[in-house]
Amino acid sequence: MGIFTQLTINGLIAGAIYALVAAGFSLIYSTCKFIHFAHGASIAFCGYFLYFLFSMLHLNFWLSVIFAIIFAGLLGYGMDLLVYKQLRKRKASPLILLIASLGLLIFLESLILVLFGADIKTIGFIRVTQGMEFLGARITQLQVVIILVSIILFVLLFLFMKRTKMGKAMRAVANNKEVAEIVGISSERIYRWSFIIGSAIAGIAAILVGLEQNLEATMGTNLMIRGFTGAIVGGIGNVPSAILGGFLIGFAENYGVWFLPSGYKEAIAFVILFIFLLFRPQGLFGIKKLVHK
Amino acid sequence: MIEAYIIHLLILICIFIILSISLQLSIGFAGLLSLAHIAFYCIGAYTSALLALAGVPFWICIVLAGISAMIFGFLLSIPTNKLKGDYLALATLAFHIVVYAVALNWTGLTRGPLGLPGIPRPSIFGFVFSGNLSFLILTFIIMLICYFIAKLIISSPFGKALGAIRDDELSTKVLGKNTFKMKTYALGISALIAGIAGSLYAHYITFIDPSSFHLMQMVPILAIVIIAGLASLRGTIIVSIILVLLPEPLRFIGFPSSMVGPMRQIIYALILILILLYKPKGLFGKIKLG
Amino acid sequence: MLQIKKLKKYFGGVKAVDGATFNVKENSITALIGPNGSGKTTVFNLISGILKAETGRILMDKEEITNLRPYIVSNKGISRLFQQSRLFNNLTVKDNLLIAIDNEDTFFWRNFFRANRITAEKENKVRQMLELVNMEKFEKRIARELSYGQKRLIEIARTILNPHKLLMLDEPVAGVNPKLRTEIAKLLLKLKKQKETILLIEHDMNFTLKIADHVIVMDEGKVIAEGKPEHIKKNKKVLEAYLGE
Repeated sequence: MGIFTQLTINGLIAGAIYALVAAGFSLIYSTCKFIHFAHGASIAFCGYFLYFLFSMLHLNFWLSVIFAIIFAGLLGYGMDLLVYKQLRKRKASPLILLIASLGLLIFLESLILVLFGADIKTIGFIRVTQGMEFLGARITQLQVVIILVSIILFVLLFLFMKRTKMGKAMRAVANNKEVAEIVGISSERIYRWSFIIGSAIAGIAAILVGLEQNLEATMGTNLMIRGFTGAIVGGIGNVPSAILGGFLIGFAENYGVWFLPSGYKEAIAFVILFIFLLFRPQGLFGIKKLVHK
Repeated sequence: MIEAYIIHLLILICIFIILSISLQLSIGFAGLLSLAHIAFYCIGAYTSALLALAGVPFWICIVLAGISAMIFGFLLSIPTNKLKGDYLALATLAFHIVVYAVALNWTGLTRGPLGLPGIPRPSIFGFVFSGNLSFLILTFIIMLICYFIAKLIISSPFGKALGAIRDDELSTKVLGKNTFKMKTYALGISALIAGIAGSLYAHYITFIDPSSFHLMQMVPILAIVIIAGLASLRGTIIVSIILVLLPEPLRFIGFPSSMVGPMRQIIYALILILILLYKPKGLFGKIKLG
Repeated sequence: MLQIKKLKKYFGGVKAVDGATFNVKENSITALIGPNGSGKTTVFNLISGILKAETGRILMDKEEITNLRPYIVSNKGISRLFQQSRLFNNLTVKDNLLIAIDNEDTFFWRNFFRANRITAEKENKVRQMLELVNMEKFEKRIARELSYGQKRLIEIARTILNPHKLLMLDEPVAGVNPKLRTEIAKLLLKLKKQKETILLIEHDMNFTLKIADHVIVMDEGKVIAEGKPEHIKKNKKVLEAYLGE
């Protein structure tokens, strides 16, 4: 019983992180309609920027966190402004945007390797503790924070999408760009804010992971793959489904360890991704029309 | 010293040319944007290495490496047949990731991150290609063979029909052609060539581990094909040579060797993005992507 | 030659084709007309195998071809022209036409070992076809460079070159200038004299009524009238259908 609870809690924690990544990614996909792989770079850069501000420059921790999140948002915005927007002007297909995003991801990730090196970096704000006991499993305070922060963010995101003017505008553009423009919504402005908000959320995920584990250059790609899988599994183009999908992947990975040798834990998300892309690309809750023929 | 360095570069160039030709065949000539080719490269490398370590003669190793990659190419074609554009790219990407994960985790077969050391240099009729110069000649000849295979296919009516599938698959179907069968062959042969490149790589470095087949390795090859432009075999070769040589001066400027790898990727990724923005047909291509 | 029996195709709640039944006689030009959205192109797509029918049957020379895959339908003798331009834009005009001649190019090994060659005979066929549509000079041009009307001509040429018993043309003269329209009309009549069977969709009433032997009118997925052009022109139901749109 204890193992099951532990796996469930681990799944919840991992799922929360993946859901954050999936939420940001899905927000961008729902409005901009293409696969933004470089989302992983927003993640990595945010974590490393925090490291830079806090561990290297020794700025106040909370200030560093705020700056890092803003930086992540701006980075996302920058990628859109400098690359994607220019490609959109040239009527680039989603495929070209995908390739460009792959290029951006590799470019930025390699930049991190050059600037910071390949070794693992520790942020060193939280001391590693044994954690508390809960229903026969162990959970640290940081891990509780991770779950709480993500839940709060999801609630905020939900309220944002449902109640605020911009949130509604985003849903309108996601639903039907042409009609949204007719009623006066600027799609460019929506794209911009989707990138800023989506990337900022990813940044928060990076900070949480960086505090819990460590920073390494490929963390962006790793988290992105799982978040992306979660978004696909849940149903791409729909933020709540993506969040659900993220949690599902978190659970799948951790329960999977029960059945498979632990080395395969990473492979679980990839195999799920492969199966879904091939047999159910619209995800569990998505709409069929997103698959091109 | 310089001689050894030049020979090493030339060997790498030949291997890159073979890999890029395989990708160009798939993307430029058949219109299948595959991100799976490093997976085929990986399958070829491991097949060849494992066979060679079991004592199988080289020429059988390389042929079976190509064939095993080709079989996976055929298999991949089945579920991806109806996918287009970015969804196809994603599915092939997922395939790559699965292959990479298997290489990393099926330690019983691949020894995982420890890799496979001690892969013997090729030996044909008793002659061992232990010197790099002889290996270069072998690689060059195999590269020429791969080039001619590609050229034969492309200039044949089959190749033209592949171009038709790339331009408009529905029209091709409606003209009575079984496009699924043709796309399967295209992906299969393309995978075969990538597998051969993998075998050469394994027997050159004599050691392989999963890190040589990480997704990052896809970027130089993809960059070559897109920078060269779609459907230009000649351009693919020229750009392969340029892109392998371009980052080399970095070694001499004084960067620590650990940085050279990432800097190469930065250069490739940057040029790729610039080409997409300002010259989407590439340098030698006549067809726009997508 | 071609028989459609009670064909039905629904898209969700929309009944695109709702029990269409008609026949196409050999050696005739049959026109399928009707207001926008009446289901004409959907019927074409059902025949071509691009869409799967809910119910109903399609028979070609008494052989069942309902729901067969597109390339198989084509090889049963049906050659299809689409409404939008679907040329192979990156191939030359000559290659665009050569592809249509036979399916030898789908066999990998035959082509790889050079057993399949482009014979002088095939090249002549292409040249003759180009002469038929007055476009010999364009043989080596890349298809992308052609004007819309020229592209349409080559596409029609390609459709004719494809071995067939039945030609299905979806709006062959859509968007084409009047002079070219007349030329294409003459071409179709010439084909009919050569014992061809043509089924076409066309919105241009003058064009249709001039060359068609038999007219089938669809509205809201059903066939509402059939007959000779002169009678259809005066048919009350037909006029209502068109006025209503």
